[in-house]
Amino acid sequence: MKIRTQDYMAIAREQLKEPNARAVLDFFPVVLSLMRDAAYQSFADPAAAMQCSGAIRANAVARLPKLLEQFEAQAIKAGAKVVWAEDSQQANAYITDLAKKRGVQYVAKGKSMVTEEVGLNEALEKEGISAYETDLGEFITQLLKRPPFHIVGPALNVPVAEIRDIFLEKGVMTEPTDDPVELGLAARKYLRDKFHHLDMGVTGINMAVAETGTIINVENEGNIRMCKSSPKIQVSIMTLEKVVPTMAEAMMVMRNLTRSATGQMASAYASMDTGPKKAEEADGPEELHIIILDNGRSKVYTDPTYRQALQCIRCGACLNFCPIYRKVGGYSYGWAYSGPMGQVLSPMLLGLDKTRDLYHSCTLCKQCKTICPGGVEHPKILLTHRARNREQNVPFHGAGVSPVIEARYRGFAAAALRPAVWNTMVRVVRTTLNQSKQGSMIKELFGKPQGWFATRDLPPIGRPTFGQWYKEYKKHK
Amino acid sequence: MLEGNRDKILNRLKAAPQILPPAPPVIAPMPDEALGQEQMVEKFQNLLAAQTGVLHRVADKDGVLEKLTEIFQAEGITKALATTDETIADLNLPEWGKGNGFEITTHKDYANREDYKKAAFDVVQAGVTGADFAFAESGTLCMVAREDMPRLPSLAPIIHIAVLPLDRLVPTYDHMVRQVFDAGAPPSQVFFITGPSMTADIQATPFKGMHGPQKLYVILRES
Repeated sequence: MKIRTQDYMAIAREQLKEPNARAVLDFFPVVLSLMRDAAYQSFADPAAAMQCSGAIRANAVARLPKLLEQFEAQAIKAGAKVVWAEDSQQANAYITDLAKKRGVQYVAKGKSMVTEEVGLNEALEKEGISAYETDLGEFITQLLKRPPFHIVGPALNVPVAEIRDIFLEKGVMTEPTDDPVELGLAARKYLRDKFHHLDMGVTGINMAVAETGTIINVENEGNIRMCKSSPKIQVSIMTLEKVVPTMAEAMMVMRNLTRSATGQMASAYASMDTGPKKAEEADGPEELHIIILDNGRSKVYTDPTYRQALQCIRCGACLNFCPIYRKVGGYSYGWAYSGPMGQVLSPMLLGLDKTRDLYHSCTLCKQCKTICPGGVEHPKILLTHRARNREQNVPFHGAGVSPVIEARYRGFAAAALRPAVWNTMVRVVRTTLNQSKQGSMIKELFGKPQGWFATRDLPPIGRPTFGQWYKEYKKHK
Repeated sequence: MLEGNRDKILNRLKAAPQILPPAPPVIAPMPDEALGQEQMVEKFQNLLAAQTGVLHRVADKDGVLEKLTEIFQAEGITKALATTDETIADLNLPEWGKGNGFEITTHKDYANREDYKKAAFDVVQAGVTGADFAFAESGTLCMVAREDMPRLPSLAPIIHIAVLPLDRLVPTYDHMVRQVFDAGAPPSQVFFITGPSMTADIQATPFKGMHGPQKLYVILRES
């Protein structure tokens, strides 16, 4: 996947005018948010259940090295092969080498954010091995060569006619149809053959359980179960923060995950693998390879403020509640991770210098933090990104700000810290500024609704100002 | 190629500032723990129905076979792949099939994995399985993969019929965790099934049967 985080503003402007994006964003996140809230009512105490999930994740991240060692030992004991990859290139190389050694012609993939992050499809294709995304939404976006629009519905914004055309062009079906169900069933038929003759299935991992060495996947379509049941080789890849201490805690996080992601009390399928199949079993993988990927997370872990981002469980609820995501959609974020989740994570992994617009594109409304079952405080991390970028933070590639901006804010701070200077300035600019009033608000300056006023209105400056009024009030009291 | 990575990554994590872990959270029990058996059946049935699953309650072995005949006839099923787990072993489905005009096979009837997969993907119209647990909390079936409980019969055919003994319906997932995982030596796979396979990825239009079964029947057997 081509990383386009630096094009955030340009893509967002396009998306704001795109009718299909508008239709989905005005509807889908709202419905999912309502479904989430309704599903949480099945807990005796919904707020406590969410806090419990966050506490499990915080506890797991705090004990991360120990839990990873425990998970690895248990998974190996169960017969899995566990390998550690420093970065995308190493993870991709391991999978492509394995596929070549085993003579695999193609692989089928379950939906996973981490394989989007590492660009596995492209790496496999480069080696002449076809990779089939098997989640319906991911299948469509793969054919169209687009990034996911939403973590739960990657192709929700794609019009039916476009899906029909690409399915006809790529031979997924032979007869045209505009019926979404028929299109889905055409994809079922096409991918069923791939599942049947599959030699290697690749999946992500929602959770890895330290005490048992178990990996857990949650899904609705059954494609991940297919990737784990039909082939003789299963490769499952996790980023290193996915570990939880116990199976009981994994169940509690899973309850929160399905409710937060899709408003379901349970997804259609959850599968929990501990090692490959036993010799006497008729199906399941004979080889289970688990890749533990770092890709910058151990650096994140060394930073006490950033570490909390590793608690994310990838439910995507923060997208649905974010007023910015609801306007600009998933493409704007320019990489695998969108919404507040992407605004927090992408700058850490790609660098503050390449993601500047991501962490500035936030109203700090704190909705994301309020509904996060991972206990992540997104606004705090976004403010830290801004501060570290200005400070030219070395480990995370802060770029600093332009001297003009720096001077402007220094001037503003100098005035704001001195009441006499501030009050004088307010009185000086009041007449000019208030002349631009339209209705009850000032919407432009010097006839130009640009810069600061492009996205904000300002109430007129009072006459008298509060300071003047208070001085008079005290005098007459 | 990847040698040495493990220690390098773990050493970086261990060298990071140690932040004392918060106390392990206390997981409050789900409200379903207080449900009686009939309440569990009612909740399970309602949640299953919400996912278009159908529950039939029968008294015994004869009731199961009678209901299977009805479902097979109504759905036009002539060939099915069954598991051999103890929940349905006493039904002797291959024999029952012969007497009723249905061809029932199990994975043991196939010479190799490829033939078995061909049957699961291309030949049978239904999979018949037992269920190791069912959870009232979410209307979920649970199977533990083993020799007699292969994975594909509940996944590849378009219809899945599960026979659930009443005493295997428990309030929550936690009962399964205690019995299966806390005992040590976990199975190769445990899988949860909550309704048929589904998606809503095209224009948010929901439909069942994306990759797995389109229909799910549960026959609840009292004895």
